Amino acid sequence: MRDDREISRLLLLTAARDPGSAEAFERLYSLCAPLLLGVAQRVVGRRELAEEVLHDGFAAIWRSVDKFDPLTAQPVAWMVAIVRNRAIDVRASHDVSRVDSYHEFDDDPDGTLDRLFDWTPGEDDAEDRRRAAGWVRGCLGKLKAPERQALVLAYEHGLSHGELAAHLAKPLGTVKTWVRRGMDNLRHCVEAHMGAAR
Amino acid sequence: MKIADNPRLDALCGEYLLGTLRGAARRRFERALREEPLVALRLDHWQRTFTPRYAKMIEAQPSGKVWKRLERELGLDRYRTPWHARTGFWRGWAIAATAALAVAIGLAVLQPGPEPSQPIATLAGKAESAQVTALLSRDGRTLELRAARPVVAGPTQSYELWLLPGGNAAPISIAVLGNLDARFALPPALVGRLAAGAKLAVSVEPAGGSPTGAPTGPVILVGDITA
Repeated sequence: MRDDREISRLLLLTAARDPGSAEAFERLYSLCAPLLLGVAQRVVGRRELAEEVLHDGFAAIWRSVDKFDPLTAQPVAWMVAIVRNRAIDVRASHDVSRVDSYHEFDDDPDGTLDRLFDWTPGEDDAEDRRRAAGWVRGCLGKLKAPERQALVLAYEHGLSHGELAAHLAKPLGTVKTWVRRGMDNLRHCVEAHMGAAR
Repeated sequence: MKIADNPRLDALCGEYLLGTLRGAARRRFERALREEPLVALRLDHWQRTFTPRYAKMIEAQPSGKVWKRLERELGLDRYRTPWHARTGFWRGWAIAATAALAVAIGLAVLQPGPEPSQPIATLAGKAESAQVTALLSRDGRTLELRAARPVVAGPTQSYELWLLPGGNAAPISIAVLGNLDARFALPPALVGRLAAGAKLAVSVEPAGGSPTGAPTGPVILVGDITA
């Protein structure tokens, strides 16, 4: 299990640009590269392209690590966001046409959600944030099926609105509405739990 | 208009995290993230609350090439501790080896079973991440190294694996390697000599191996042979 405090510590050591920063960065790489490669591969599909993204992502982490704020940001989520954004850009520029290969989710939405993600409470100090993952999982389950499908496909594979429309064989406007309503409903549902928990 | 005042701020945060915010809209949002603290704060709330953690099953092991390229392109050597700098020479060997030995831990466990190889030594260095397991085939003729993380030599360097027979005997070269995940035949003269009491060590050498037949670069890993 990755320890967020250890990852934050390594990010700070990397940002210091001292003798020893390279070792900290190397340790960071060995701890996080497998996860980040998995994230990239979900989005770009091809292994060699995913390794390209992993390389670019870690280069970006090395260059922008001084912007990482350990007080506010979660270290792993911070790195995942950098790599996912890079993967989405690469996917767009390489015209990765795999739009009809996402039947895993279509066939078994709940199983896929539970295999892909870890919904157990996090290690955050704040109780409502610790339990947020469970609420998100529950609220995803309450969404209308097309809304849930659009959100998960977009998140897991980095599909654009246009790619979602092609995959789901629906007009672009309909898909945009699903995404927007899905996010909206998810937010209201989770925030209701948070309000109730206080 | 500032994005922080935008009634769609939550929707923008959500679509940014989802990845459906693209092109100019995403660039505007990223600029706002840098310039408007309220936007960054709101995104942080979204990130903490709504971003699920990926499960372990999605992980995949990258090839060693990725790290090697990063190391070269980012010029990481500039930020290594002096211990890694190529300043150690044979005179430094004793000091380096003693220091490294102090932290070496023998984790190798003999396991009966059908495995063709069994661990005979765990080689460790100062960097806690650097750990290499040495395995010897049943017939004692094939040695295998498995690195806990990819360890790949730069273009001007090689790793050299040494047998330290013990006592005052000089180190004997076993192999010159480009990376520390390797499997190779032992030199026939060394078959049977990888036994308890001796040690294995890895030094950094010029490409192609030590020019003198003895370790000339820093010793980065060392471990006792336990079988």
